[in-house]
Amino acid sequence: MLQRFLDPSVLANISGLDLVAKTVVDGFVSGLHRSPDFGFSQEFAEYRAYSQGDDLRHVDWNVFARTERCYLKRYRGETNTQLLILLDTSASMGYGSQPVHKLDYARFLAASLCYLAHTQRDAAGLIVFDEDVKNYVAPSTRQGQLFRLLHAVEECQVGTRTDFAKPFAHFLNFLRRRGLVVVLSDFYEQPETIIQTVEPLRFRGNEVILFHLLDPQEIAPTFRSPVLLQDMENNSSLEVSPEYARTDYRHKIDAHIEALRDKAKGAGLDYFLMNTGRPLDEGLREYLAVRQGRL
Amino acid sequence: MGFLAPWFLAGLAAVGLPVWLHLLKKHKNEPVPFSSLMFFERRTQSSVKHRRLQYLLLFALRAALVALLALTFANPFLQSSARVTAGGRKLVVLAIDNSFSMRQGGRLERARQAALRTLSGLRSQDRAQVLAFGAQVRMMSEATGDRAALEAGIRAVEPGDTRGSYAELARALRSIEQSARMPVEAHLFSDMQKSSLPPNFSDLRLGEGVTLEPHPVVTARVPNFAVENVSVPRRVYEPRKVRLLATITGFGTERSTHRVSLVLNGREVDSKSVEIPADGRATVEFLSLEAPYGMNRGEVRLDSGDSFPDDDRFYFSVERADPRRALFVHEARNTRDLLYFQTALESAGQSAFALDAVSPEQTGAIAAEKYAFVVLSDISSLPQSFEQALERYVRSGGAVLVALGRESALRKNVPVSGEGVLEARYFTRDSDRFQTAAWLDPAFPPVRGEDHWDDVKFYQAVRVEPGKARVLARLSDETPLLLEKQIGEGRVLVFTSTFDNISNDFPLHASFVPFVEQTAHYLGRLDDRPANYLVGAYLELREAQGKGAAAEVLDPAGRRALSLEEATRAQNIALTSTGYYDVKRPDGRRELVAVNADRHESDLQVIPQETLALWQNTAQSTEAQAAQGETERRPRQVWWYLMLAILALAVAESLLGNRHLSADREAA
Repeated sequence: MLQRFLDPSVLANISGLDLVAKTVVDGFVSGLHRSPDFGFSQEFAEYRAYSQGDDLRHVDWNVFARTERCYLKRYRGETNTQLLILLDTSASMGYGSQPVHKLDYARFLAASLCYLAHTQRDAAGLIVFDEDVKNYVAPSTRQGQLFRLLHAVEECQVGTRTDFAKPFAHFLNFLRRRGLVVVLSDFYEQPETIIQTVEPLRFRGNEVILFHLLDPQEIAPTFRSPVLLQDMENNSSLEVSPEYARTDYRHKIDAHIEALRDKAKGAGLDYFLMNTGRPLDEGLREYLAVRQGRL
Repeated sequence: MGFLAPWFLAGLAAVGLPVWLHLLKKHKNEPVPFSSLMFFERRTQSSVKHRRLQYLLLFALRAALVALLALTFANPFLQSSARVTAGGRKLVVLAIDNSFSMRQGGRLERARQAALRTLSGLRSQDRAQVLAFGAQVRMMSEATGDRAALEAGIRAVEPGDTRGSYAELARALRSIEQSARMPVEAHLFSDMQKSSLPPNFSDLRLGEGVTLEPHPVVTARVPNFAVENVSVPRRVYEPRKVRLLATITGFGTERSTHRVSLVLNGREVDSKSVEIPADGRATVEFLSLEAPYGMNRGEVRLDSGDSFPDDDRFYFSVERADPRRALFVHEARNTRDLLYFQTALESAGQSAFALDAVSPEQTGAIAAEKYAFVVLSDISSLPQSFEQALERYVRSGGAVLVALGRESALRKNVPVSGEGVLEARYFTRDSDRFQTAAWLDPAFPPVRGEDHWDDVKFYQAVRVEPGKARVLARLSDETPLLLEKQIGEGRVLVFTSTFDNISNDFPLHASFVPFVEQTAHYLGRLDDRPANYLVGAYLELREAQGKGAAAEVLDPAGRRALSLEEATRAQNIALTSTGYYDVKRPDGRRELVAVNADRHESDLQVIPQETLALWQNTAQSTEAQAAQGETERRPRQVWWYLMLAILALAVAESLLGNRHLSADREAA
């Protein structure tokens, strides 16, 4: 039932990122029908009847003593992964042909990831940047961390131009413990430059995921007549014909996406294209299916 | 090119619709924000220009479509010049001048021969028409290819006495061209008299399809003497007091002396010698005209010895008569009015009337018909029989002058005319003491002259209800002073004051004598008609409207000029021949009317060649058209072609528009 609320435009009408994240993640988890959090840890979860081949170490002998039946004791799984979300708030992220522009979509996504990490008791942190680092919430599992993160995400505003080199060099200093790094950006930069900038994170043992956020109009622009386009970052303008946008531009943006995907894969980075026209959980589900629930 | 419904051209304003669609709504130049332009290139602008060009083509198609629609509704037509091949038909017009000057030296016969020669060259497919023209154009034949009929028409052209008019000929040629609907080739056989040209050269304009080929029967000016004019009174009462002036003119002549004779009823009564200066005129004076009683045929002859004797005689008519009798009826005790009226009448230049004065009691045995007019001067009563006789007299053409004074103010009605008498006004009892004549009808002959009535004082007048009478003069208090009433063929004048010097001081003023004389002439119908007329003038036969007694007119050849119906109805008659017309008017009076040719015809100077060439060039088609073949201009409607063009444009617009639409749809 909750699936119908996950359209970005519907989510945009929900006030409060906590509610948005809860809506997305709960719906996602309940719809996924898997139990990624069952493991063997200290937190009891349930009993299961013994079957041949089960490790006898997990048999609850106290129950066997009372009932002479073998039951296995199962525990809720626990992780200690650190999640760091890098959120790009450059001016180009303010673009959107839909009711929800890219930055909103990225905020929903960041909030959802934070909530997901919170439910798994992972330490989550946030770095907001455009050409410089705008905000930083250090990863933590402390009480109230989720609300600090959501508040930081809520505060995000469209900034200036994108410069990956400077903020990435800066927040390399914050990463003292290896973990999972998620980059949310539209990546309007040459793929080589992006990979070269992000790759050092991977060298430190981090698992890096690139979420490439693009508006449907950026992927396949449709102009009915020649238009004068103005770059949102440097204010330069250019008159564009529909034919060009329909042919040459598509080839170029497709080539850009492919190049970024290939170079990311080559550098051991995970890359995933997020079309802001698609429901938020749909993209997230697809991505997690690819990652086999490793988040 | 023209339009049958030009108001539909207002639909051209609809061209503004595609202009708005393509030019005003074409491109929005407001910049559209976009995330990044890193994948766009500068060279895309050429693509935009290309698209604009395509749109301009669509715009042009749509604008042309709307404009053609408006043009089609305006229903245009073209004046197409359909080339008529050299073998095409044409109408040959043979115009022969039969004006008075063509009588000189066999000119008319030469013109006829030249026309016959031209007719012999007529092609079998052509048609021809013969015209004779003087002051007016007369069709001598229909437009036909029958040579016999055409030759008969040429031979039937008789010499005329009218003045030639090339303007009338040009007008007739324009009319023939419009009705014939084929090229007209006009051949002009004339003496090319310069005096026949109209004052305005544009009156000679020929139609576009008319070619004019003149055939002059003379090439140079011929010297000519003529009796230009004769001034003589129409009536003679005392022959020894008559003064006759004749003007002799030489046209292109040398100084010479000639004998001028005065002929009366075919008998020469006097002659004089006159010296005429070179190319000038001289005057001859005859100081008596011993004409016998009755109508006389007068003539002034010039022994010029030139080649054109027809204009060497000038006809006039003169009537020798004793003064006519007029009846003056007045009260026996009033003698002043008779004294003043009779004295004024006798003081005139020629005593045309003699008064018979009687009292009302003496009118019983008097026949009014034998009097030229009757004056009733302040009469209180008339015998019933005489008043009835006067009414019959007026109805048959007689005239009565009624003066109203103290005596007649006692009557209820004005005698004969019957207007009601309202009152007698005595101005001496008013503060003004007298009235003056405030308004005089300038169209009424007795008061038309320069004789002023300003100083005349009227002390008494009788107010009359005008009724159907026409008021000819009013006093300053609007009291009618002079009234005229037409009864049958005759007339009654009512003077609401008297002719003595008691009711007014009119008899003491100089204006009284001309008033009495002119009134007597008016009542006695001694009109101011001239002693002679020009050919082409109209003679008035009767004044009253409607059918009356028959009039008779015998032309100079002795033939009746009027049919029986015309004799009872015709108001006037055109004088077409020189000589004497014998006229018997409906009232029984006979007149002899002398008619002379217009002396402009005596000047035999010919039209300069340059002027003739200008006349020929008034038609567009002359030599150039002859070289290229004749053309015939006809309006041709072109809406059918416009509809085809609209269909083609609509198809092209649909294809091009669909192309743009599909491109947009693909982009969407």
